[in-house]
Amino acid sequence: MSDTSCASVATFDTCPDVSIPMESPLSVAVNQVSMSTPAPAVSQESQVQFEEKPFLGHLILRGSAMVLGEAVSEVLGVSLPSQPLGLVFDASGQRSVQWLSPDEWLVIVPSGEEFELENRLREVLGAAHFAIVNVSGGQTLIELSGDKARELLMKSVTYDVHPSNFPVGKAVSVAFAKASAILRRPSETRYELVLRRSFADYCYRWLVDAGEDYGLGVTR
Amino acid sequence: MTQTNRLQQGGRIDRSRTLSFTFNGKTYRGYDGDTLASALLANGIDIVNRSFKYSRPRGIVAAGAEEPNAVVQLGSTEAAQVPNVRATQQGLYEGLAACSTNGWPNVQRDMMSWVGKLGGGFMPPGFYYKTFMAPASMWMTYEKYIRKGAGLGRAPSENDPDIYDHLNQHCDVLVVGAGPAGLAAALCAANSGARVILCDEQEEMGGSLLDSREMLDNAPAGQWVTSTLNLLAGMDNVTLLPRTTANGYHDHNFVTLHERRTEHLSDTAPKLRNHRQVRARLHRVRAGQVVLATGAHERPLVYANNDVPGNLLASAVSNYIRRYAVVPGNKLVLSTSNDHAYRAALDWADAEREVVAIVDARDKPDGDLVQQARAKGIRVITGSAVIEANGTHRVTGARVAKVDLERFAVTGPVEELVCDTIATSGGYSPVVHLASHIGVRPTWREDLLGFVPGDVKGMRPAGGSQGVYALGDVLADGAQSGAEAAKASGIASVVELSLPQAEVRQESPACALYQVPHEKTTLRAPKQFVDQQNDVTAAGIEVATREGFESIEHVKRYTALGFGTDQGKLGNINGMAIAARMLNRSIPEVGTTIFRPNYTPITFGAIVGRHARELFDPERYTAMHQWHVENGAEFEDVGQWKRPWYFPRKVNGKLETMDEAVSRESLAVRNGVGILDASTLGKIDIQGPDAREFLGRVYTNKWAKLAPGRVRYGLMCKEDGMLMDDGTTSCLGDNHFLMTTTTGGAAAVMEWLELWHQTEWPELQVYFTSVTDHWATMTVTGPDARKLLSEVTDIDLDKDRFKFMDWLNGKVADVPARVFRISFTGELAYEINVQANYAMHVWKTLFEHGKKYDLTPYGTETMHVLRAEKGLIIAGQDTDGSVTPEDLGMFWAIGYDKPYSWLGKRALTRPDTARKDRKQFVGLKPTDPAVVLEEGAQIVFDKDQAIPMSMQGHVTSSYYSPTLASGFALAVVKGGLERMGQKVYLPMPDGQTHEAEIVSPVFIDPKGERQHV
Repeated sequence: MSDTSCASVATFDTCPDVSIPMESPLSVAVNQVSMSTPAPAVSQESQVQFEEKPFLGHLILRGSAMVLGEAVSEVLGVSLPSQPLGLVFDASGQRSVQWLSPDEWLVIVPSGEEFELENRLREVLGAAHFAIVNVSGGQTLIELSGDKARELLMKSVTYDVHPSNFPVGKAVSVAFAKASAILRRPSETRYELVLRRSFADYCYRWLVDAGEDYGLGVTR
Repeated sequence: MTQTNRLQQGGRIDRSRTLSFTFNGKTYRGYDGDTLASALLANGIDIVNRSFKYSRPRGIVAAGAEEPNAVVQLGSTEAAQVPNVRATQQGLYEGLAACSTNGWPNVQRDMMSWVGKLGGGFMPPGFYYKTFMAPASMWMTYEKYIRKGAGLGRAPSENDPDIYDHLNQHCDVLVVGAGPAGLAAALCAANSGARVILCDEQEEMGGSLLDSREMLDNAPAGQWVTSTLNLLAGMDNVTLLPRTTANGYHDHNFVTLHERRTEHLSDTAPKLRNHRQVRARLHRVRAGQVVLATGAHERPLVYANNDVPGNLLASAVSNYIRRYAVVPGNKLVLSTSNDHAYRAALDWADAEREVVAIVDARDKPDGDLVQQARAKGIRVITGSAVIEANGTHRVTGARVAKVDLERFAVTGPVEELVCDTIATSGGYSPVVHLASHIGVRPTWREDLLGFVPGDVKGMRPAGGSQGVYALGDVLADGAQSGAEAAKASGIASVVELSLPQAEVRQESPACALYQVPHEKTTLRAPKQFVDQQNDVTAAGIEVATREGFESIEHVKRYTALGFGTDQGKLGNINGMAIAARMLNRSIPEVGTTIFRPNYTPITFGAIVGRHARELFDPERYTAMHQWHVENGAEFEDVGQWKRPWYFPRKVNGKLETMDEAVSRESLAVRNGVGILDASTLGKIDIQGPDAREFLGRVYTNKWAKLAPGRVRYGLMCKEDGMLMDDGTTSCLGDNHFLMTTTTGGAAAVMEWLELWHQTEWPELQVYFTSVTDHWATMTVTGPDARKLLSEVTDIDLDKDRFKFMDWLNGKVADVPARVFRISFTGELAYEINVQANYAMHVWKTLFEHGKKYDLTPYGTETMHVLRAEKGLIIAGQDTDGSVTPEDLGMFWAIGYDKPYSWLGKRALTRPDTARKDRKQFVGLKPTDPAVVLEEGAQIVFDKDQAIPMSMQGHVTSSYYSPTLASGFALAVVKGGLERMGQKVYLPMPDGQTHEAEIVSPVFIDPKGERQHV
């Protein structure tokens, strides 16, 4: 842990150096089979699969593309998306950068990489005007796949998710039922939802309910 | 019961699948492919309902959405009850149970009918308004009985067992209606590559082609329907939605479609592959372009006793014969103003039943269909009309006479024709409803004798909906609309469609006939119904115009014309024509009423969709939520958050009441140590060289000198100087702050900061990011807080090194934590923030170590009591948007001398905000310590003043304090700061008056020593 509170910006490594049990916002709902409504299991008939990818590193980058562009390429090995609503991945597919607004980007990296990434970015960016905020505890990523994933999304979001409007490499902030979410299209066969921690359980219950027609199964 | 009216051959029904159903308790049989209406007619059921106001027996009139009478109650069980279903739109299924919505004890013998018979003449329009007006207090009593006697079905008294949902759809072209125009439009747009949705309200797509006598490419028209639907079904860019009504057309081509997915299968949705099925679905369609291919409704003629069962629309007669192989009678008289209706007589004759006569209002009709009828030897009476139907429970005859349409008079002797069915046609009304939902008035076309849709951006009417009726023209018009719509949606090259060849028919022009004259005046003639569903007569409209209602909107409201579920489908034009004749104006001068959604009734389930029960509203959970559930917390809704309210314990086998739990929790914090889940407080990370400057502008107090490592309480005002939110903000680094907001205010404050940054001060280099969900926050507070925390942290908690309003980094339960020494209880307190994924571990570890200190979890109620004892406000509870920081007595938190102005400063210098007699924040100590004042109670200075008393303030927060062993309250009182020690009074609705003393709002530890230990 690094305590740099005497600097102009205080960075903070949230990860403990010993092993501590973690709980994602969906840990209980997805894993606790004893719940009154256990998560539906994946079966032969599942036309939609739901899987949480918990504990990833989520960073919000604030700053214009002019300011951040080079540093992000250098440190992360992937360029900022060149278009609004763009979503790009590094070669491994493990790290992504998403356009959120003209000066706002979401970076998602494997669990535990976020603090080092923040520090390296800060080093390269130096005195430029930008902000980096670790929000890893505040959101979770879920993946929807299967033949009926798109139809399930049509029940949930008002955004047009037809491939002609929502191709691979696009990501949007959407109204999800009565909450909001970030919807991403990383590949032909998968959709990702980035959910705020406090709304995640509601969104999960919504998807399980709306997915009943499609035999939605939850991967544990 | 045999299906006496069923033909041996023909129709689109499946005679191999017999279905049994009940109507008003009796069992009947029909076939797969029937509607409830066609099955009732097949069984010879004449009376399906009693009318709304006069309780007259009523039969089926139409075959589609425009049916006014066959409105039934559906459902074999209480939970499955559905009111207001049109039998004409209800597919038949095995076991269907329906009954009339009106009529007691039954429709054959109705107890209310004496009202209609005796009272008919005494029940003119406005009858209820006039008769039951006085005394006003009795209206509620009258209303109960009136509504019991009238009414259209009832809601189920049990919960709906079915599920419903919404589907958000987007398309280039939405085609409403799958008749010839709609099919051609959809095919043309789809061939061009457009994303197309084609919806149709009927059980089967095809519209008028399903009962047409006409040929396409020398084959029955139905064959083209089948081949076209097969084509469309095979295209990826096409969505076909049968049994789906476009029920509402909203701004920007947002159209709602009501799809009935299982209502043709059973009354509650059957399971599919062990899963529940959605019974009805609302498609929320955002369409680039809309093609309105909704066709036209035939207009009935208005003549005496035209509501007696056996009076039908001419098109309905054809529909029942050709589509369902049902002939709804034996002897037909057809009364018409146009050629097209002749096909009813031809179909009737083809079914080998007797056509008594065709009565044509025109003097010299000679179109192809007229000649076909004459060639079949059917008697055609010209220049005449059916002026009255005979019979009460079924037509027994038609009275026919020569009529002069110009003079509106019967000019010849009356001939009585014996018949059991009268079919009428007064021409066609394009279905303009959807186009007028968004407020665009339809346009009258004299050549068509009908209204057509007004101009709606991105919408094209096609075929019958804009008065194009000849089949060949309809197909061409549909194809053209489809092509234009595809082009307008951005498709560059539109594919030409090869259309089937339709026959060309000679038609003689129609004449304008709405109400048929009678030998007697309208007021003296037997009732001539205009709107059968609402029991509106021609005489009623005449009376309304005589009483001075000249606007059609007023006539509508006075008579109920086109009200409710009917939405003027059959009656509107006739009603307008009658009003126009009475007022000596033209129909367009009288205007039309506005049609409103929904086109036909829609179940609440479909409107609500999945937003019901536990999914009605989002529930936001903190990282410790599951622990709270497992430890028996009662929850309070704070915004959308579920916060623990209190944690009742079992004492001697009995669960504590809230008061008991709150007393115990409060004392634990005051005397030992308690813990609160404070994660819901809004948290905003602020970074940038101008962060400090920005804070100075949005808070009332000063931020220039707050050092890293320190925390400060801040007040935020709107421009009007009224308190908006409050919270602590910590300096994390010179360019880095962490702001906290109230739980409910978090999103609004975030938007507020962005608003001012983006619109007023974009030059300030600062960024805001919400970190509310990232950090989980637990408040450990009470005299033992330090002892407990020291067991699990590496932070030096020495009171001089970690002072009140400091924050420090360290580890708590091995998890990196930011700990803030701030207090909302007045006790020693540490707010521990950890990354939320680790929060449960930290929380549980605190409890493991807290056992020996009897660490007590407390909820929002105890939090409220503790903060109120300290006079700490809750923005939104003790303030209401009319309270300034000065009113709160917080002069110490207002930096009038800050170099740059701040939000609210100017407003706080207005004379009104400087008034001495503003409502100011004080404490109240009830004279009787057992009294807990009511929050919201009004305060007066003179308890003996006569009502209306001068209200001087009100109670904002009030609790019982176990520490003070007394009730206490916070309040705002006019000039309260100057009134310390004075007595005030609180008169209550029960006649009691409480007495209280104005005191400082700080009830405990006024010097703040306890939080500094």
